[in-house]
Amino acid sequence: MSRRGSDPFRDTPNSMRGVPQLRAEVLVIGGGATGAGVAWDAALRGFDVVLVERGDLAEGTSGRFHGLLHSGGRYVVKDPVAAEECVVENTILRAVIPDCIEDTGGLFVTTPDDDPAYGDRFMDGCRAAQLPAEEIEVADALRREPRLNPRIRRAFTVPDASIDAWKTVWSFARGAAAHGARILTYHRVTDLHVSDGAVSGARLRNELTGEDLDIEAGFILNASGAWAAQILHMAGIEDVGVVPGKGIMIAMNHRLVDTVINRCTMPADGDILVPIRTVSVIGTTDIRAADPDEIPVTQAEVDQMLDDGERLVPGFREARALRVWAGVRPLFQDARAGEVKDTRDVSRTHAVVDHRERDGIGGLLTMSGGKLTTLRLMAQDIVDAMCAQLGEERPCRTREERPPGNEDGDSYRLGSRLRKREKTLQDEQLICECELIGRARLEEAMRRRGGESLDDIRRSLRLGMGPCQGGFCIYRATGILHAVDRLDGEEASASLRHFLQERWKGVWPILYGDQLRQARLDDWIFQGLLDVEHV
Amino acid sequence: MSHHDVVVVGIGLAGLTAAVRLAESGARVLVLAKGVGATHLSGGTIDVLGYVPERIERPVDSIGGLPAQHPYALVGADGIAAAVGWFKERVASGSLAPYSYVGGIKENLLLPSALGVPRPSAVVPVTMAGGDLRGGGGAPVCVVGFRALKDFHAPLLADNLTRAGARARAIELDLAPEARADPNSLAFARGFDDPGFRAEVTAQVVGRLGAEERVAFPAVLGSARPHGVWAELEERFGRPVFEVPTLPPSVPGMRVFAILREALRSAGGRVILNAVVTGAEQEGGRVRALRARAGLREERHGADWVVLATGGFASGGLALDSRWTAHEPALGLPVAGVPEPGAERFRPDYFDDHPIGRAGVAVDRELRPVDQAGDRVLENVLVAGATLAGAEPWREKSGDGISLATGHRAAELVLAATSAATAGRAG
Repeated sequence: MSRRGSDPFRDTPNSMRGVPQLRAEVLVIGGGATGAGVAWDAALRGFDVVLVERGDLAEGTSGRFHGLLHSGGRYVVKDPVAAEECVVENTILRAVIPDCIEDTGGLFVTTPDDDPAYGDRFMDGCRAAQLPAEEIEVADALRREPRLNPRIRRAFTVPDASIDAWKTVWSFARGAAAHGARILTYHRVTDLHVSDGAVSGARLRNELTGEDLDIEAGFILNASGAWAAQILHMAGIEDVGVVPGKGIMIAMNHRLVDTVINRCTMPADGDILVPIRTVSVIGTTDIRAADPDEIPVTQAEVDQMLDDGERLVPGFREARALRVWAGVRPLFQDARAGEVKDTRDVSRTHAVVDHRERDGIGGLLTMSGGKLTTLRLMAQDIVDAMCAQLGEERPCRTREERPPGNEDGDSYRLGSRLRKREKTLQDEQLICECELIGRARLEEAMRRRGGESLDDIRRSLRLGMGPCQGGFCIYRATGILHAVDRLDGEEASASLRHFLQERWKGVWPILYGDQLRQARLDDWIFQGLLDVEHV
Repeated sequence: MSHHDVVVVGIGLAGLTAAVRLAESGARVLVLAKGVGATHLSGGTIDVLGYVPERIERPVDSIGGLPAQHPYALVGADGIAAAVGWFKERVASGSLAPYSYVGGIKENLLLPSALGVPRPSAVVPVTMAGGDLRGGGGAPVCVVGFRALKDFHAPLLADNLTRAGARARAIELDLAPEARADPNSLAFARGFDDPGFRAEVTAQVVGRLGAEERVAFPAVLGSARPHGVWAELEERFGRPVFEVPTLPPSVPGMRVFAILREALRSAGGRVILNAVVTGAEQEGGRVRALRARAGLREERHGADWVVLATGGFASGGLALDSRWTAHEPALGLPVAGVPEPGAERFRPDYFDDHPIGRAGVAVDRELRPVDQAGDRVLENVLVAGATLAGAEPWREKSGDGISLATGHRAAELVLAATSAATAGRAG
């Protein structure tokens, strides 16, 4: 299948498409939240930036998390440094990317299986971290969240929120592009060039065309998260490892709660329930994985999550599960710092690894650890470290600057999309009824992205993310893709099959109840009616 | 409590077939259904058997080779042929006559899907038969689409047909039926009922056809008088015209529903929609009455015989809970073919053979439900259609055939049993 198009910002003036040799001051590796934040920070400081991502933006860990913007409450007892960082960054992100955030508020609740005394330690920790928490009456908590387990014994309010990871990453990436950065998706780093004790660039492969591309860059910021060690191996640094901590999450088809619910206990499995957009997400597990690209979800893990959900919201198992996925935390392990046993015991704070000090290779920094809530601070720290090594004084501006898409300054509210759309809902074809995506918006996204992956369009528009999981919209979108992008039937059909396979990965382990019924209806359409299997 | 000779549960193709066949033979029939469903999803073709898993040309030759648990093994090729004959006759003399079906179980036609895949199908509306692609694709095809109809994409269809070896191209029209935003297939079908709309379509197409071309349309050529609309277009264009099924709602499926429901009504059968069967009163291995919830009311419906045709997992006739236990919600019948807890239910590849794929209610040769040991659970309950275990209807392209054949067989079995009983009493 011949695939074209890879630069989602191909209309930006700086774009140097088709040139086999690129130059930049700074090469950022990784198109997740960290990389996008780093590109935004560096571009704002006036650096000439190229960001490379082997797949689509936010396709790795960032797009596979639960959507919780931490208040810091989860870390106050176990990891006070991480807690303090969350307290500060939570406030800053609400101000700079309001559109990506819904102010749901959060509750920590003591379930019948939890030690009520932990609540006191929790409150002490909140005070120490200057986290505004308050204990409320159980009856008040139940009034606020009627589905919550009525047998909870204590409840505390915290400023948790939910955050749309895709929107966040796209927002920072678009902001970086607006300041001259070039964002190259579907470009994999295959080699790092090191000469005279410093990096000088990298070899890239365009994953869509198979072509190689060399980039010359005086500085490389490795923001590839769970894949960071693979990058470092290319520079001959073998003794840094990443312990991929696998976490599974299940999106339930409804907002079972409107407030983020945390179990008030030491961080454990299945103790967070996050309302985000039209769904709620339960997470998560923490299992040491061998390979960040091989993280299958097992039925036993699903069962465990459902039982954990039942503890927070009785009747959880009767609710409809929409999708399940796994993400890998980028938990760093330095072979010189000793063996790690439980991935949860690795600090959730981040650190910048300076490879000039550690390995004698200048111009190379790696971001280790971290979490989405502190992505801005992580970016600031690594770009500060770069400025220090370059001997330049360029102050960070990300505390004040809003990236594109956050102009009106209103945070996301459930129903805002319908409010925006409902006046014109009858004026055009509605392609995805679940997510209210009209034909014009879909065609615009297809033209702008210039790619032909329905799965990428799913991530940018939420196409096919609703209850029917693409049952009705994906044939339509295939037809439109074929028309808009002048794809031939073979390419369009391959994209359809790819979408169906990607979708299947996220649904088969949770197929029971109404979602099984939905899946069988979708089989009826794709296998029975359209006969996609034999296209 | 009402009492009927037969209560049929479900109003898809299987339930309607059983109900009409019984009512026309003089039985007092009541149909209880949660709502209309399966016919409105099906493309309107009676697919008997298309893949085993390689594509087959003659269903009749492959039926004998199916596993013993397959529903077709219970009815046999003769049973399927009898049901098909009955159905064709019923449609041809039905409320939309002369709208009719052609074909049989001896050979499959190859008709394009809306994606442009040649699909094997045995018995098809006469309005679709002109799309047959056998023998090197046949005459070139001009696919006519409507930009306003999102559930049918003519250029994609034509492109994929070309890849499959046929000669095809597409034209798209900007016409749409009036007074409805974002019209679906049904709205277009109602548009085609209007001579003015047909004239506009004809005018925009007629001068653009190549000498040899036949003309494909989305399956929206009329809802009230489909045969007349189709015949008129063939006449105006002077060449074969054929329909291709769209995404649901399916206009040809709705035609089948309309024809059979009208046949049932005129034979004296009764239908209650929005009735959810929640259980049965049993005595001595027989169901005496069904309990059904209609809105907030619970009603009891006495019956000598029950035909259960509530569909499979897609229709809610079967359910799987989060502890991975399957059940049949109406009567609580045993469900066969569900992997044990902990065992693999689905495979990671979407197009793979999934272990749970053939789950359903297992029956004996007289369509009575059986338990794991193979013993009959209820004497006067017969199961038909997608509720049955042993088939993968969408992958095999056998769903409509199974529903028709087992619905028909269920009726035949009830009629045989009642006439035997009557004869016994008379003797």
